[in-house]
Amino acid sequence: MEVLHNLALGFEVALTWQNLMFCAIGCTVGTLVGLLPGLGPLATISILLPLTYSIPTGGALIMLAGIYYGAQYGDSVSAITMKIPHASSIVACIDGYQMTLKGKTGLALFTAGVSSFIGGSVAIVVLSGLAPTLGEVALLFGPADYCALMLVGFVCVSFVTTGSLLNGMAMCLIGVLLGQIGTDVNSGMQRFTMNLAFLADGVGLVSIALGCFGIAEITKNLDNRDERTPFNGKINLIPTWAEFKRIIPSALRGSVIGSFLGILPGGGPVIAQFAAYAVDKKVSKYKHEIGSGAIEGVAGQAAADEAAARTSFIPLMSIGIPENAVMALMMAAFIIKGIQPGPNMIAGHPDLFWGLVASMWVGNCFLLILNVPLVRYWLSVFKIPYSVLFPSILFFCCIGTYSVNNSLDDIFITATFGFIGYMFLRLGLDAAPLMLGFILGPMLEENFRRALLLSRGDFTAFVTRPISGTLLAFIGIFIVWQVAAFFLQARKTTARRQQPA
Amino acid sequence: MNDRNLVRGLFLIAISLAFGLVSLRYPMGQFSRAGPGLFPLLVSCLLFLIGLITVVRSRFVERVDLNFNMKNIALILASLCGFALISEHLNMIAGIVFMVFCVSFAGTSYSVMRNLKISACLIAIALAFQKLLGFNLPLY
Repeated sequence: MEVLHNLALGFEVALTWQNLMFCAIGCTVGTLVGLLPGLGPLATISILLPLTYSIPTGGALIMLAGIYYGAQYGDSVSAITMKIPHASSIVACIDGYQMTLKGKTGLALFTAGVSSFIGGSVAIVVLSGLAPTLGEVALLFGPADYCALMLVGFVCVSFVTTGSLLNGMAMCLIGVLLGQIGTDVNSGMQRFTMNLAFLADGVGLVSIALGCFGIAEITKNLDNRDERTPFNGKINLIPTWAEFKRIIPSALRGSVIGSFLGILPGGGPVIAQFAAYAVDKKVSKYKHEIGSGAIEGVAGQAAADEAAARTSFIPLMSIGIPENAVMALMMAAFIIKGIQPGPNMIAGHPDLFWGLVASMWVGNCFLLILNVPLVRYWLSVFKIPYSVLFPSILFFCCIGTYSVNNSLDDIFITATFGFIGYMFLRLGLDAAPLMLGFILGPMLEENFRRALLLSRGDFTAFVTRPISGTLLAFIGIFIVWQVAAFFLQARKTTARRQQPA
Repeated sequence: MNDRNLVRGLFLIAISLAFGLVSLRYPMGQFSRAGPGLFPLLVSCLLFLIGLITVVRSRFVERVDLNFNMKNIALILASLCGFALISEHLNMIAGIVFMVFCVSFAGTSYSVMRNLKISACLIAIALAFQKLLGFNLPLY
């Protein structure tokens, strides 16, 4: 009953005219920018973050959330119609694009829209039930446990986003080191500032995000020099009843898988999509069709995608630890607005928390309206040639960086990180874990120092506490497995090389 | 020197040394009462280790060539810095025009007319930001 009461409070907040408007703007702009080639949710959020500075806190959070799932959805539209895989909707390309080739674009888009709606709704139920409970569990966490939890997050994100533990961990650590720049909170000493006054407060988050995701991304697209043909096919949106019936079971399966995987550290939309797709391929009634343009191939992954995008808010809002790079950016946005996500957020700002939850459902409805009947108009975005687009994106990067502090110095920092981001790109290092490391770095240091202070410099405290001990054991097993896998692989390739000789 | 895996390892080592050596200059303290230099040093050591593993590993895995195209990134960085400098000394409208004209060299085709149109649009957007959303932009 308490949940219903809380949700009623949430809807009271979310359904004010102002917040409805912010939600609608967030969804629209997010979808629009998410559709643009090469801009996934991370870049979209960092470019649009400054838009929210002049908005009241509740509205800003609602709008940011709208931008996030709008971008997530816009991604899948471009994947289905043109097979432009962004970071976040690789799976949608498989069956979605096959359906487009068969002339069933409308059906694919409708399926994706409805499944996302179902996935989102299931996730919101999970979110409103689980987040407060998990928040109480989080109160049991001591500093050592927080450290271990963050390390687990690093390991999982490294492995999931880059596929290589070594590269991912390196990026996390670089992020942590970048987070050290600025004034040390405990001693007041300035670290790594090179005596530059504007570095005393640390490197701006927006500068790093725009440099590594915005500018590096633009340069990559320019280097590729690929011209895209805009989508001109016919779109017939209304499905038959038989087709509609096929969407539901697959979407429900996807929702459950997505909701679950969204909560785990390092989880999130990408891994949820793959899992849902794999499950559908195993258990669906139409499994023989999946891969060649089946409704189930689109429905399951779209539902999982949307569900995971929402349940990944749970660790952020109940424990205060973001579990992937997008959530790290969200956390930064919360902090800019003066809200510290964590166990106390739900109790301290019930209107914000429940308003956000309720607004997710409102956003779901907006997305359905925006995307299913209006999708034709969205696709005209692709008629803009890239040579017009990239100066504009660059302009928004500049305005975004500048308006954080009204400081032109920040643009130089962004340019620096643009170069570094490009280096990372060319060296095959994914910048997403860096973001997580950067946000969690200061928290990790503080908890690390506090844990050692409490244990009087004794490192066994990390192992003897049940929570941190378990988490560290998990990391240990994971690393051993990775090392073993590498050596087995190496032996196999050398064996194969020797065979022909 | 053109092996991506090797360069990546060296790059990581360079970053870890840059942070690690500087952090040696800060007070370390003890583990029970850590100084400002201790944590960055630990993290740098870890990163150094990863860099070292990457270098060693690059000898056992297949080579991947490093392709580094300086032209586009240089143009983009130049236009960003130019935008900041011109906005600081002249005004932001001139900065926007400079940025559009400079960065367009990186595109597949170059057209003065198109650049003028893009600049006009972006200036209109900047004006809207300033007047409607209350952004503090030094436009003129």
